[in-house]
Amino acid sequence: MIPDTDLPVQTLGTDRQREHWWVGPETARRVAGRTAYATDVPPLDGLLHGAVLRCGVAHARVVSLDVRGARAMPGVRAVVTAEDVPGTNGFGIVLRDQPVLCRDRVRFEGDAVAAVAADTPEQARAALAAIEVTYEPLPIVGDALSAAEAWPLHEGGNLLAEHTLRRGELDAALARCALVVEQDYRTPRQMHAFMETEGGVAIPDGRGGLCVQVGCQSGHRDRLQLADILGLAPEQVTIRAVATGGAFGGKDELTVQPIAGLLALRTGRPVRLQLDRFESCRSGIKRHPVVARVTTGCDRDGRLLAHRVDAVLDTGAYASLGPAVLENYLDHATAPLYRIEAYQVHGRLLYTNNGVAGAFRGFGGNQATFAVESQMDALAARLGLTPVEFRRRNLRRPGEPGSRGQPVRWTRPPAELLHLAARSPLWRPSPGEDPRWLEGTGLAMGGQGNGLGDGLPDAGGGRLNLSPEGRIRVEFGFVDYGQNLTELVIRRVSEALPCAPEDIDVVLGRSDGPDSGPTSASRSTVVVDQVLRAVLPGWARRLCAEAARRAGLPPEALVCGPGGIWSRTPKRRLCRYRELAASLGPVPAEHRGDFPVAPGPTPPVGRFLQLLIATVARVAVDRLSGCVRVQALHHITAAGRVIHPPGYLGQIEGAAVMGLGMTLTEDMPTDDGRYRFDNLDQYLIPTLQDAPEQRVDVLDDTPADADYPVRGVGELGIEAVAPAIVAAIEAACGVRVRHLPVDPDRLLAALRDTEHPV
Amino acid sequence: MIPTGETQSLSFRLNGQPLAVEVPPATSLLDLLRGPGGLTSVRAGCRIGRCGACTVLLDGRSVPACLVPAWRLEGRRVDTVEGLARDPHYQAVASALTWESALQCGYCTPGIVLSLVSCLRNETEPDRDRLAEALAGNLCRCTGYGGLRRALERLAPGRPRASHFSDPSDPTPGGSS
Repeated sequence: MIPDTDLPVQTLGTDRQREHWWVGPETARRVAGRTAYATDVPPLDGLLHGAVLRCGVAHARVVSLDVRGARAMPGVRAVVTAEDVPGTNGFGIVLRDQPVLCRDRVRFEGDAVAAVAADTPEQARAALAAIEVTYEPLPIVGDALSAAEAWPLHEGGNLLAEHTLRRGELDAALARCALVVEQDYRTPRQMHAFMETEGGVAIPDGRGGLCVQVGCQSGHRDRLQLADILGLAPEQVTIRAVATGGAFGGKDELTVQPIAGLLALRTGRPVRLQLDRFESCRSGIKRHPVVARVTTGCDRDGRLLAHRVDAVLDTGAYASLGPAVLENYLDHATAPLYRIEAYQVHGRLLYTNNGVAGAFRGFGGNQATFAVESQMDALAARLGLTPVEFRRRNLRRPGEPGSRGQPVRWTRPPAELLHLAARSPLWRPSPGEDPRWLEGTGLAMGGQGNGLGDGLPDAGGGRLNLSPEGRIRVEFGFVDYGQNLTELVIRRVSEALPCAPEDIDVVLGRSDGPDSGPTSASRSTVVVDQVLRAVLPGWARRLCAEAARRAGLPPEALVCGPGGIWSRTPKRRLCRYRELAASLGPVPAEHRGDFPVAPGPTPPVGRFLQLLIATVARVAVDRLSGCVRVQALHHITAAGRVIHPPGYLGQIEGAAVMGLGMTLTEDMPTDDGRYRFDNLDQYLIPTLQDAPEQRVDVLDDTPADADYPVRGVGELGIEAVAPAIVAAIEAACGVRVRHLPVDPDRLLAALRDTEHPV
Repeated sequence: MIPTGETQSLSFRLNGQPLAVEVPPATSLLDLLRGPGGLTSVRAGCRIGRCGACTVLLDGRSVPACLVPAWRLEGRRVDTVEGLARDPHYQAVASALTWESALQCGYCTPGIVLSLVSCLRNETEPDRDRLAEALAGNLCRCTGYGGLRRALERLAPGRPRASHFSDPSDPTPGGSS
């Protein structure tokens, strides 16, 4: 427990009796290497291997494309180009502007121009080398800041989207500020670097349709796009989202599905396609780099009055989810946790030849929070207030609307998280005895909303049934890509029904099953909870009624329990689920509902279900090298009830280390529109040795029957890490870093300037 | 990828069973195991020996299978998690990782298991620092390594480690909490 507070706070992973720490069978299967992944080689007769010819140039016209030589190569069963795409030759969740196979123009080095299916992977690759393409180079648009005036990459120019959020009179508020801070911030082009690269297998069904087993994030949405590309009816396409080795937003967009599908239809045989790491780095999506100028002012008491943001997001060659990322960036750029009299937050989304940017954990929000929280520290320092005291004077209180005037629902007041963060054991003076390492502590806060937001269609459903073997079958359309949704569902059902975890089968990720909506926007946990609250009580009553009829007892005397139906007193099992299945047959129950938005008639703005984090970072800065070691991260979270403690803990810790990578080492720079790195020896993600000690505290006492008892925490942990680390760096050595990732050389130079002012 | 060209016949033991193959000598052990070997726990992540997802035991020591050419295998012993069910080190590692839920997507996990088994087998004093060093070549993108650190505490119990969260005035290593 944290001293001198009676807040309901608990440190995860320390008191496992109380937390009901439970690890399910799927975890053991994964440890033993027995889980099947989308990129396993399936034992299918006639399996072919696909390979894709990427253009390798940043921007060019395709002058000629000759595949005749490749068609004649040994083992080659099909070579396809743009001519062979039967339906729409374009995909993209927001705009279908990315060609499956480019016809006359390529816009980034990963653009596909042709693909091959052959008997072996080697034959497929050899055939790629026999394809002759000539390109006529076009001017490269390599800088988002000047892209609007550059050579247009798409009809309508390079300004894909521009949007402004406003409240109050900014100029008048700025004029009244006693103190104004204006700074530029940059965040990197981070790569998802999931350990399993994009891949899967497309299997023709013999009736003109096909099934695609693939690592993805939304089987239902993929199916619609894929059917459109392949010229099929949606019913002819089935997606099986197989266990996926990491996604983080990077598999939200279509990856290998269109080309694998095309090759499978063309050959009538199953086709396996997996990008290797080099191809994944060069063609996969990345996080949007953001350049922002931020101006924030307050009165002499430190009360925020005015806040202005001008941001440019580099979306690369195609839209993907860029427009939605821009929306979420702007939402977070309004500094939603703080009361500010007036703001004007303006963002532009630009096409360039710098790869493709799209969804990535945090979805633009953490890039904005980095700038916002850094501004809070800058104002606090100039006023001579502590970062805690400055924030305390400005945090919103429960019951207040959100920054866009919309109703919001937090689970705890933001001030409580700040209070706990201020008492973190990580606040201690630098030991000072070491001439080399300078230590310091910093904090940042972050808020997030669950769901797609802004009133976008956001429905999700799920299904419950009793199998003939008496298994409780729970089905969702979501994909388990490592967030361990399987065990979360088992926990939720086994506690609420109740029953034994062993009674439950969880079935996920089938596009012919219930549509739960995309596995993104931290929405799955909320949808799962909503569906189960709607269907479980009635379903349990149906089982108990049947058991009561068989036993000649009143239904109220019976409850669901481990293995079957039990009498309340004496407590004993009356019949097994298997016996009920024999007499009742299937017992289907389905629910589909909209993702929760604010009750009432006002059209939804932003996101209603909100969750909070405060992160305290302790770092050591090396005065010799300028390198930064993050020693410890302390997170205080308020995100409703914890359903599955290992899952919650792992999501916060994992997202935080991903944020640490973005802060210290991760960037995919481009030179003339081409990525500088193409594997994990150059693009450096954190290793065990880079990972700090972490503590995750949960601030919550939400009752199970509350209106909105849970939140999804898949993205929360990344929200406040970067600003907390740079605050700690400043506390350690007096230098504030505003360009990420932290460049050790620049930090060292700045450090020398501080220590030996010229 | 399996190179084309002249092949070589060679035999080695895979998970205790003899295996004879006829492949081009430069074929990587990774492709050999996923192809003719029929295994799925050995996984491609980078193919340059950086990520550790394809880690196997070669004569009892961990190596990235993507960097081992087939010609080096003649007469040697290759082990993967599929063949270690009865191994006490494997059992200890698997149960620590499972209980600590030290994984998420699990793609990197068999490689991590084998690096730890190799360390426990071959090091005279496989303490926590040694175990952590043994994982320097295994990348995990999901977990942030928290569960893994807790699993190492379980595998190599000892004095509580000094913690950044303990009160420095508290003389107990790791603090009183």
